[in-house]
Amino acid sequence: MNRILLIARREFAAYAMTVGFWLSLLALPMFALLGVAMPMLMKSSEPVREVVLLEDGPQASGLAAAVREALATDVERQAEIAREAAEKAGEFAGAGMGAEAAAGAASSVARPKLNLVEAPDDLADTVTAEEREARIRYYLGDEVEKAQQLDAVVILTRNEEGRPTARVWSRRATDNTVRNFVRDAMKDANRAEVFGEAGIDPAIVRETGAYDPKVVVLSPSAASGGEVSFRDKLPGIIGFGSAFLLWSLIITGASILLNSVMEEKSNKILEVLMSSASATEILTGKVLGVAMLTATVLLAWGGIGAAGLLNFAPEQAMNVGQILLTDGMLLYFAAYAIGGYLMYAVLFAAIGAFCETPRDAQTLMGPIMMVLVVPIIVVQMALQTPDAPLVKILSWVPFFTPFLMAARAHSDPPMIEIVGTMVGMFAMALFMVWVAGRAFRAGALSDVKLSWKSFLGAVRGGGR
Amino acid sequence: MDAALSLNGISKRYGGFQAVKDLSFSVPKGSICGFLGPNGAGKTSTLRMILGLQPQTSGTLEILGASDGRQVRNRIGFLPEERGLYKKMTPVDAIAFFGALKGLPSGEGRKRARIMLKEQGLEHAQAKKMKELSKGMAQKVQLIASVVHKPEFVILDEPFSGLDPMNQQGLEEMIRGLAADGATVLFSTHVMQHAERLCDKVVLLARGQKAFEGTVDEARSQTLRHLSLEGDIAAEAVRALPGVASVETVRQDGEVKTLKAQLNAGARGQETLKAAFLGGLDVRSFELREPTLHDAFIHLTGVDPNQDQTVKRAETMEAAR
Repeated sequence: MNRILLIARREFAAYAMTVGFWLSLLALPMFALLGVAMPMLMKSSEPVREVVLLEDGPQASGLAAAVREALATDVERQAEIAREAAEKAGEFAGAGMGAEAAAGAASSVARPKLNLVEAPDDLADTVTAEEREARIRYYLGDEVEKAQQLDAVVILTRNEEGRPTARVWSRRATDNTVRNFVRDAMKDANRAEVFGEAGIDPAIVRETGAYDPKVVVLSPSAASGGEVSFRDKLPGIIGFGSAFLLWSLIITGASILLNSVMEEKSNKILEVLMSSASATEILTGKVLGVAMLTATVLLAWGGIGAAGLLNFAPEQAMNVGQILLTDGMLLYFAAYAIGGYLMYAVLFAAIGAFCETPRDAQTLMGPIMMVLVVPIIVVQMALQTPDAPLVKILSWVPFFTPFLMAARAHSDPPMIEIVGTMVGMFAMALFMVWVAGRAFRAGALSDVKLSWKSFLGAVRGGGR
Repeated sequence: MDAALSLNGISKRYGGFQAVKDLSFSVPKGSICGFLGPNGAGKTSTLRMILGLQPQTSGTLEILGASDGRQVRNRIGFLPEERGLYKKMTPVDAIAFFGALKGLPSGEGRKRARIMLKEQGLEHAQAKKMKELSKGMAQKVQLIASVVHKPEFVILDEPFSGLDPMNQQGLEEMIRGLAADGATVLFSTHVMQHAERLCDKVVLLARGQKAFEGTVDEARSQTLRHLSLEGDIAAEAVRALPGVASVETVRQDGEVKTLKAQLNAGARGQETLKAAFLGGLDVRSFELREPTLHDAFIHLTGVDPNQDQTVKRAETMEAAR
């Protein structure tokens, strides 16, 4: 036992004492934070474009007004979206700091994209098209003073059929914001004109277009017995997240083991270890050490997540805590995490015992990684339709069980499936420990190149 | 003297390939025993069987009173042929870790590590990482790691390989020191000079079979001495000299020949030389050479110990599998 702990401690320390480990540990929360903050930051830091509208002759009369109206409507709509987002965020965050922060973030992004300004006199007074183009080039160029510089000049006109069209002069050739906005405004203007010509009041057209029906989702399984709330969806989200988390942690942990054993094999340390401890002790120690490492990662991520939720959304923190602790999901996930980790960790360690370079490992790792992609695809299906026959059948495949059953947890699968898949998974885990133990023992002292044949031969030969 | 190790008819087969065949020998307690043979002769397989890392196909062994090396692994120190330690560990940490695996308390391991590193002139390297050490220094650290727990039996697999002459000499002193402290040392090598200088006993192995077991002097006495003669001499005249068993012409440069005369067992070289001079042979130079362990090995096994049998035997092993 002492030797197992010694090997486990060394394995843990070898990774935990590196800067890279802590950087990668913090990478996920940082990316999660960036994933939320970056779009808002980008949106709020987007410049408001200074735009001049010019109507090209009397036939274009009224098109500038249509664009101004479209802009006013857009500003109203953005404000409405921001209000709704702030409300939803407030509901999610409860009484925490998050509600205020969410409202602030939402208002910061609800800004108009364009600022319609009056055309400078020397541009408005041009007579010929050539003169106008020369002035436009001047105001969009770099020679003009910054305060007078324009981002775009839009020349509104009509085509041969009398439909609204526009030519957009833009300071930046790649900036399509003004072009897209004007195009939508022209479409709206055209629609209003067409309906108007057909005798339909433009106000009715506007109202019809702006109508946003409220759809209420009800379910007898909702906590309220009726309307489905975010709280009702939370177990599914947690299950889905847990499945991905399990998958990434198990694969990361198993890969660490593979590389660790491979390094020891290539550095000829494995033989020295074998003279000091049994193969079972070495394998157990390594599996335990990396398990401690993944548990550290899980605890750190869980701690950061919990701290974030408690600060920004205390009500949801309560809900998550309740689901994980009261509903027993934590134990459920823990059991699948242990079984899943054991199955893959010992297998990867045994493969590592035959290899000295990653290239050596590719022979066996290729097919294994292809198999591992399957649960990731099916997990997404399990969130929407956890009782689909394909999901149910694949849940019984021990190598997929940890991920799929975690994703299905929210749908309260029948007890027979929970017990059955868990028994199958742990039986397979024990079988893998037996197989890997034999293969590890043989591989550690062998110079034979890794192949399916040599791997199975080692298992059959008992590893000694 | 009690045996610390005894092998009785040990054999090892890998599939259809016979790596070690019916091997029996013993190593007395407190002695230094050389396990000699060319690369690929079966030395590493035998050492692994002694350690319990691989089971023997047949035969029995006893090490420190146990029938399986794994039962007494904490009393054994082992230095494998191909060496390596954790590259990011410091020598002190590495030595203490391997000592701890053998049951040595970590604090004591670190203390002994510092003392032993100092004794080996590696005091300055204590805080460095293993990857920063030279090969010779790293090998010394690994040897210290294998004996830090003060084992009763030390097994060293090709301990001199890759070391420069200075480090080889240092290692010889370390081995003598281990034996002086009461440990039994069994080391394998294909370089006979180390065994000649160090060993109380040698076991010669070729093609997986024992060719000889005894002291270095006993091994040498099995080998015929030879006399080298240079001059304008006829091979027939040399063959007629007293004590000469056979004559071989090694080189001929015009009239001048270099002849190698193999002497009969018990023949005195001085008598043969005297007869040559009295017989009027035109001897311009001569050398009477005592056989070395290397000569004895070739004589006893028919194999040059410096010849690498690994490739040939590995191919056979692969084919057998």
